[in-house]
Amino acid sequence: MTKKKPLAENQMLISILASVISIAVGLLFGFILLLILNPSKAGVGMSAMLTTGFGSLDKFGKVLYQAAPLMLCGLSVGFAFKTGLFNIGASGQYTMGAFFALIGAIVLHLPWWACLLLSCVGGGIWGIFPGLFKALFNVNEVITSIMFNWIGMFLVNLLLANTPIMLASAWGASNSDRTADLNVANPSAIIPKAGLDKLFGNSPWINISVFIAIAVAILMWFILQKTTFGYELKACGLNKEASRYAGINANRNIILSMIIAGALSGLGGGLYYLAGTIQYVLEKSVLGMGFDGIPVALLANSHPIGTIFSSLFISYIKVGGSAMQPNFSSETINIIIAVIIYLAAFALLMRGVIMKLLKKLAGKADKEVSA
Amino acid sequence: MTVLANIISLTVIFAVPLLLVALGGMYSEHSGVINLALEGIMVIGALCGCFLLRAFDQNGFGKAHPQVAMLLAILIAAAAGVAFSLLLAFAAINLKADQTIGGTALNIFAPAFAVVVTWAIQGQGQTTIQIPTWIKITQETFGFERTDGFFATLFFKYQYLTTPVAIILFIVAWLLMYKTKFGLRLRACGEHPQAADSVGINVYRMRYAGVMISGFLAGIGGLAYVIAVGSGFSSSVGGYGFLALAVMIFGNWKPFTILGSALIFALFKVIAAYNSSIPFLPKFEGLKDQSSLYQMLPYIVTMVVLVFTSKKSKAPKAEGIPYDKGSR
Amino acid sequence: MLHITKEFPGIKANDDITLQLKKGEIHALLGENGAGKSTLMSVLFGLYQAEQGEIRKNGKTVHIKDPNEANRLGIGMVHQHFKLVECFTVLDNIILGVEDTKRGFLQYDSARKKVMELSQKYGLRVDPDALISDISVGMQQRVEILKMLYRDNEILIFDEPTAVLTPQEIKELMAIMRGFKEEGKSILFITHKLQEIMAVADRCSVLRKGKYIGTVDIANTTREELSRMMVGREVAFDIQKKSPQVGDVVLSVKDLVVASKAHNNNAVKGVSFEVHAGEIVCISGIEGNGQTELVYGLTGLEPVKSGSITLCGKDITHASIRERSKDGMSHIPEDRHKYGLVLDYTLEQNMVLQRYWEPEFQNHGVIRSQAVRKYAQKLIDKFDVRSGQGPVTIARSMSGGNQQKAIIAREIDKNPQLLVAVQPTRGLDVGAIEYIHQQLIAERDAGRAVLLISLELDEVRSLSDRILVIYEGEIVGDFEKAEMEELGLYMAGAKRQGKEAAK
Repeated sequence: MTKKKPLAENQMLISILASVISIAVGLLFGFILLLILNPSKAGVGMSAMLTTGFGSLDKFGKVLYQAAPLMLCGLSVGFAFKTGLFNIGASGQYTMGAFFALIGAIVLHLPWWACLLLSCVGGGIWGIFPGLFKALFNVNEVITSIMFNWIGMFLVNLLLANTPIMLASAWGASNSDRTADLNVANPSAIIPKAGLDKLFGNSPWINISVFIAIAVAILMWFILQKTTFGYELKACGLNKEASRYAGINANRNIILSMIIAGALSGLGGGLYYLAGTIQYVLEKSVLGMGFDGIPVALLANSHPIGTIFSSLFISYIKVGGSAMQPNFSSETINIIIAVIIYLAAFALLMRGVIMKLLKKLAGKADKEVSA
Repeated sequence: MTVLANIISLTVIFAVPLLLVALGGMYSEHSGVINLALEGIMVIGALCGCFLLRAFDQNGFGKAHPQVAMLLAILIAAAAGVAFSLLLAFAAINLKADQTIGGTALNIFAPAFAVVVTWAIQGQGQTTIQIPTWIKITQETFGFERTDGFFATLFFKYQYLTTPVAIILFIVAWLLMYKTKFGLRLRACGEHPQAADSVGINVYRMRYAGVMISGFLAGIGGLAYVIAVGSGFSSSVGGYGFLALAVMIFGNWKPFTILGSALIFALFKVIAAYNSSIPFLPKFEGLKDQSSLYQMLPYIVTMVVLVFTSKKSKAPKAEGIPYDKGSR
Repeated sequence: MLHITKEFPGIKANDDITLQLKKGEIHALLGENGAGKSTLMSVLFGLYQAEQGEIRKNGKTVHIKDPNEANRLGIGMVHQHFKLVECFTVLDNIILGVEDTKRGFLQYDSARKKVMELSQKYGLRVDPDALISDISVGMQQRVEILKMLYRDNEILIFDEPTAVLTPQEIKELMAIMRGFKEEGKSILFITHKLQEIMAVADRCSVLRKGKYIGTVDIANTTREELSRMMVGREVAFDIQKKSPQVGDVVLSVKDLVVASKAHNNNAVKGVSFEVHAGEIVCISGIEGNGQTELVYGLTGLEPVKSGSITLCGKDITHASIRERSKDGMSHIPEDRHKYGLVLDYTLEQNMVLQRYWEPEFQNHGVIRSQAVRKYAQKLIDKFDVRSGQGPVTIARSMSGGNQQKAIIAREIDKNPQLLVAVQPTRGLDVGAIEYIHQQLIAERDAGRAVLLISLELDEVRSLSDRILVIYEGEIVGDFEKAEMEELGLYMAGAKRQGKEAAK
């Protein structure tokens, strides 16, 4: 048993420090890689990555726009983590959410908020499977999630191909490899900008989606922190045996938490594709946005409020990554993200090291407080 | 008949990467480490193999000795796979990290790394490494005239050196796993590491071996996938690593059933890619984009199989659990 | 002559223990749970390293760093929990680690021959091609024994070998052990069953609380003497308590059968008893005789195979854990880290673990954090639970005694009809033990039924109003007050009420 001084602030501090160190190591690794690849341009590339996001209002608008779906995917992964599940299926749920939202927008002609609700339903349906299979058949949720990522992608492709009205070609455009432009098909389904575009120098990206995402993050924080439901979910995740002892139905909680996680990812898909700026392209490989939810959640230590900041950070360097071209590929960002995830895989170890360092720094102040 | 030869030959060439990578997954899991990073390892293997082929193409060595060049590319792909898999082994075995999260990190790392390196070497925006055409095994490889018959199509239309290599590796993998003391000990580590430890087997070392063998096979599998697809390497192996994971589960962690399921999954892939030109398939009237349907099927079948077999699954019992010498 | 001397003073698990094993003898190692038997054997087998002391074989000092080294010295061990790979065949398990190969390939022929020879010679019937998962526990043990013989081990350690065997299998094992002795092999036999020692051992060394008590020749001793050595004569501090005011029946258990997870036999075999209001009933016995499963069955953590459980007149045999809790059952679990607490929750969150759903603590699903805080503070004050930051302390950072106090506070304050306390003082210091004992007696005096499951004889003796002795899943004795030695005999299965134990 550890007997370290467990100040709540201290725990928070350690989490934040661990994330900052992960980020720093990730960035350093990226920089070294750039130096090896092209020493003369490395400095320029790095500064492009780190400054573009604040460089112009337009870019900052894009940071906020991308942060919304990232935040929701991060919330989704983090929410599942809290219940002891690894939701690697955020991608499939995100795709399903996007599909449901677009059906609502283009086929059913619903307003934007109804489409967003539909996207939650779509993602939630896709979240049922990993939870249900785990609870009923004890199939590992990671395997189910991966399978359903692919099933989801192919299913959406199949359904879109067979619903001609969904495709851009039905609305006057020539291409049939993507969904209809919402500006043509149903402008009322586009998430309102509420005047933000004027504030952001007519940035085409900005709308209220980031505020919706933040509101959802606060809601998730409330559920996890303040409700009996959240209390039960966390108890299951932290100690399944003890939660059983307390009379909590673990299987029910596994399924419910995966449905909620799915709905969050689905909402992310809705927010991204209802902006009116991007059309869903029939994909050949699974969408990356769901996977980006993993570093967002890990950096935030699955804390909903922390997710707001970590998603903004990931979005920020992603926007910066695009600006690194043509000297370097924007994929450099994913290398940094991968390093961050890799470090998070042994987070406990790292936290232990940080804790020791903090103790050394604090020295005498940290007296043993156990009776 | 030619259609049949085409289908069989294509199925084989698409089954090769699935077989190799699934066997790799089998080795890793039998040692007790879940290798979710197969996809990433494939990408790294393919990247290195393709660059070597490109270099051989440019300096003329390839045209002069195509199959030697190909063999070297296979070896470099394998070596790269081993090196990359060490990252997983280190995290999973030494640091006792979460194996799924570690594997996910490597899966995100690999394609990004491949894109960045491809850019750096080939120049801006050149994201695809072209595969030279001389690597194909044709009748000319053996000094014969080219012909078009059934057997010619079967053996000399789509095949590469990776196919015979895969057959040899399959036999070796099976022998190693079931006929040698290494295999016996490896499986003991994945089933009951405490038992292995109590008879003096070094569990950490065996797990390293398991992960490295999976890297070896998945690295080759990555190259095999790229040349099977034939349109060059664009830093992706199209989810084949995950598909191989499904093949491994479907194959119940055993070599021969893995071979069978690799062929079945490959057949689905071939049907998905060429369904319009295969005459005897059911045609769904009015259904567009049937290939998506066929591509979806293997995953659905895997899920159904998982549901029915999970109660008596033959998955190694200790997989995914870090081994700690102290706890018994 | 074969001599092993093992001395290491200091750390509590084994405190300056010397053990000498002669060639060709069966040497029993006797002691209660936690006496240090297994630790000592693990040191000998190279699984642990001793801080002090040395091991000698044939007069020469040896250093056993790992099981390989032990094996090289001819020391083999049958572990209490078998170390067998379930999906391997018997033969594979035997050769694992010492495989024969020819040009890299496994060779089974000579191994099979040797195994069959050994099997015939010692009467160890096994099917070499059967899978471990398909064979009986008894045969699995024979495989473990063959593993040692296959390695030509001369010193054989048996760690509680009879715990999972049927009486017939035990008889066979005894015969096999005698056969080894005739062959000149030496056997270390860890057990706490007296009659087995009397039946098979030449000498017996006794450990108690990590200390070496003595070695006796079996020929010159009695069960009673061994029992006395094992249990000791130390008298615990006596607890002042009033005579019980026994009330109505609170818990009634009839013919309860609970399956075991460890083996195929039932762990609880038709147990019946009653607990009344205002009394402390103690279930006493040596670890692994079905206590854990009995508690799981009572509290709903494991399903009951047959029989019935009635709480205050209500049948709760198949009720959920939550329902049992509502009906007035409180449970202080054996493993406080696994079941009793969510260690990463704060103290206040843990204080309401069984009650968070009550209207007092939630309103339409929203936790009333003020009420929780107040309630936790109340319990902390009332039960003197000490922690760094009061209600917001993370449970993991608290000392074991205070964690246990928190659990007891939570379970007692529920006002239960029945309090099930499983080893409530395990691993705690004297002060905490005393406090917990007082609380249990206070509950009894308040008219509640208390069911105490304990391995500590001192605790059993000083707290209980009635003692039920459990042995191999059955209640073999029911006492108002009992002598320690008498209890020891029942616990070791040497005596039972009603019918005399089979010799």
